Amino acid sequence: MHRSRIRSHATIAAALAAVSLLVARDARAQAPGPTIGQPAPAFTLPDTYGAEHSLADYRGEWVVLEWLNYGCPYVKKHYDSQNMQNLQAEYAGRGVKWLAIVSSAPGKQGYYEPDAMNEINEEKGQNALAVLLDPTGRVGRMYKAQTTPQMVVIDPAGTLLYNGAIDDRPSSRPTSLEGAHNYLSAALDEAMAGRPVSVPTTKPYGCSVKYPS
Amino acid sequence: MNETYRVVTRIVATLTATAVVLVTAPTPLPGQGVVGEQDARGERSSAGPDLSPHSAAALLAENRSVGPGSSFTVGLHLTLEPGWHTYWKNPGDSGEPASITWRVPAGFSAGEIQWPAPQLIFFPPLVSYGYFDEVLLLVEITPPPGLVDGDTVRLAGRADWLVCIEDCFPAEAELAITLPVSDAAPGLDPMTAPLFETGRAELPVVDSTWSSFARFKQPWYGLKIDPPDSLIRVVGSDLPDVHFFASEGNVIEHAAEQRPDWDGETLVIRLARSGFSFAIPDTVRGVLVTARDESGAPIAAVEINAPVIVAGNPAVAPEASFGLGLALLFAFFGGVLLNLMPCVFPVLSLKVFGFVEHSGQGSGGAARQGAAFGVGVLASFWVLGAVLLALRAAGESVGWGFQLQSPLFVGVMAVLFFLLALALLGALEFGVSLTRFGESELVKVPSRTRFARHTTTRSFASGVLATVVATPCTAPFMGAALGWALLRPPAETMLVFTALGAGMAVPYVGLSLSPGLVDRLPSPGRWMETLKQALAFPLLATVVWLAWVFGLQTGVDGLAGLLGALLLTGLAVWVGARWGGFASTPPGRTIARVSAITIGVAALIVLVRAAVTAPEPESASGSESGATAWPAWSPPAAAEIRSSGRPLFIDFTAAWCLSCQVNERVVLNKATVRDAFRDHGVTTLKADWTRRDPAITGALAELERSSVPVYALYPGGAVDPVLLPSVLTKDIVLEALETYVPLQE
Repeated sequence: MHRSRIRSHATIAAALAAVSLLVARDARAQAPGPTIGQPAPAFTLPDTYGAEHSLADYRGEWVVLEWLNYGCPYVKKHYDSQNMQNLQAEYAGRGVKWLAIVSSAPGKQGYYEPDAMNEINEEKGQNALAVLLDPTGRVGRMYKAQTTPQMVVIDPAGTLLYNGAIDDRPSSRPTSLEGAHNYLSAALDEAMAGRPVSVPTTKPYGCSVKYPS
Repeated sequence: MNETYRVVTRIVATLTATAVVLVTAPTPLPGQGVVGEQDARGERSSAGPDLSPHSAAALLAENRSVGPGSSFTVGLHLTLEPGWHTYWKNPGDSGEPASITWRVPAGFSAGEIQWPAPQLIFFPPLVSYGYFDEVLLLVEITPPPGLVDGDTVRLAGRADWLVCIEDCFPAEAELAITLPVSDAAPGLDPMTAPLFETGRAELPVVDSTWSSFARFKQPWYGLKIDPPDSLIRVVGSDLPDVHFFASEGNVIEHAAEQRPDWDGETLVIRLARSGFSFAIPDTVRGVLVTARDESGAPIAAVEINAPVIVAGNPAVAPEASFGLGLALLFAFFGGVLLNLMPCVFPVLSLKVFGFVEHSGQGSGGAARQGAAFGVGVLASFWVLGAVLLALRAAGESVGWGFQLQSPLFVGVMAVLFFLLALALLGALEFGVSLTRFGESELVKVPSRTRFARHTTTRSFASGVLATVVATPCTAPFMGAALGWALLRPPAETMLVFTALGAGMAVPYVGLSLSPGLVDRLPSPGRWMETLKQALAFPLLATVVWLAWVFGLQTGVDGLAGLLGALLLTGLAVWVGARWGGFASTPPGRTIARVSAITIGVAALIVLVRAAVTAPEPESASGSESGATAWPAWSPPAAAEIRSSGRPLFIDFTAAWCLSCQVNERVVLNKATVRDAFRDHGVTTLKADWTRRDPAITGALAELERSSVPVYALYPGGAVDPVLLPSVLTKDIVLEALETYVPLQE
């Protein structure tokens, strides 16, 4: 009799452990944001074709996250000049998995239904591995995405190595690309050569991410 | 008065803008002050794209003429459609400040833009710094000496600015202004002068009578500003309505609450370090803006250049001297001591009873049970460690005991302890287990192997249970090890959790592996039944304590809900045990069991509803919890006391932390200890972690701790804090005061 009692308590305890997990997840405090040198926050998002992408799927690979809003003039600077597509192609050639993330809320700038997004991707010559849709902005907030563009580098161990601006020219003028120092490629090149990233974070520039109001 | 003035300037601005459009004469009228050449409005009439959407720009001069060698002021006047904004020099989380690319005659130089004080522009979770409606960006122009009376000077430039409502449009305009050179004293242009006067008034003042510094301790800057008396009079002694705008974009979190407060005549503002900051700057620069009047103009705006003082690391348990080996040792002994904590002891006693009852069944069974229990404890600690790491990776500020900051968890724990107490009192006799409805094997005699498997599973599960009930307790040694572990890479954190689990499991596992010891335990008898029943009362006391914590978190209505849930739990147990046992006929048994489950579910619903009706975080904060009625800790309050050189003692506590409550009641609240604090001139503050509070989590992290209790004694001056042990005695406190803090004269 007492045995079944202990077992029943133990079952309750196991259930409690599960509850505590849910509860702790639920009670969110103000997140101080992702930390350089710490594991990059895990996420799973659908791409424009409905396929799910988890950060965990890319363990063992170099990953770039790019916050994208085609309506944003700062993003246009990098796409109309082919700067972004060239970077995507260059690093794809070196095995980097490049994921563009759209955290615009439905009805806001940069949000498109998947089909429309595919058309624009085609038109722009988007070279990212996938364009992921984050209409709730959950993943954007997890990574403290403030602007489009904003760039993140994650190493094969899943560690966050860089979070910030794409380059040192916070301007939407196409001419500002001339002579710009690209923080993203600097971080990737250093990290992929086995060296520490000398500039692991910079203030991102561009349009605000169009989170749900 | 002020409103009338602004209306006038608005009309003047509109007139000047109109003048820009109207003036098309090839020879501009000298002295008119404002002449646009190919500005944006001019191009808008053509078929080209609108280069300055939702806004307009004009280049204005304050004076009607230029005197040789005397510098003068021009202004880029941006007017925006209602609701649209443009940006300050630091645009905040997004955006871009306006810029002017000058083309001025040889020998002329244009200064930096002088930026009026900005406003906060909210797009949660983001915040921008900028301007609505209109702004005049002043620029000082310095001409060369050799200008000839009667000549004209043409200043041209391209203005770029960003105009946003939520979506943004880059805007640009080619602007120019032509002014005559005159040896006569330059007169003000009556059309633009009021606008410049307003623009100057909105510039932050540089005032050496304000002194400031910023104390940095990860992750906060405590900005301390001593304003002149005049400002104190303006702002009043209540909570100041001020905001600090940082000049650089990667120094502070623009959207973070600043919680300005007065500490005496010092204004204390808490600034969160930017997540995009790479290094701590030498100086925090920015503009302090006080409350605004009805027109939106700040009552005062002043430039702040606060040198940064980086606070030293605590003296106790620094990372370097506390290696992995010592951390593992501390964690192991902490785990051993957990067994003696009031929340664990009754549960483990049950396990030992199990040994006593089955001491005759051969040591193999006991060893297997012991091993299963140990694995259960270890697995639970791994799960806890993994959850903690995952939450931290997701950016949560949590520490040990974090579960108890959730009312739902506290409520479920209360119900669990209540059930355990009922079980010890024998209310679950007749073999009815709520979780075993529908299992027919109860009526069978279990086979030997099945029996063995069951006992193994149960031992594993009781290991899990022991860990779950242990989470409110922090044993001595444990705090230091966990605090260290949570700052380390995940692998080392998990190792420390493993050591903790191993320590907790070792007495029981050791007992199970020593048949000699097991045999020496007293033989079972009536004494065991009596002791079991007696042990129900510590558990019921735990329920009272958990209910109190729950009440602090959710208020009196929530507490009533929890008590209702306990009542229903008792009812479900009674119904299940009374009619659901084997003594009842099968149909009656089924009805009783279904009823018991239904009542149990109802209890759960009542509990969840009670747990989610939490009151406003501020109104019923846990600051009343605990035995000590000390003033509440806050980062500015603590920093202020420390910077004044006075000694300070901080009690990091929580209602759900039993050892905290014991320490407060038995030690800190005793008259001798209170008197000793007073005699040594030590200010005492209480940091109550009953609810989640990132500031307290941050302060604990600075001390390299992640759990309460923590007792930090700051001896005064720039000396680093001394951490007292987590189990206090009067002597420990008194000795620490004698050793570190000189007696007040």
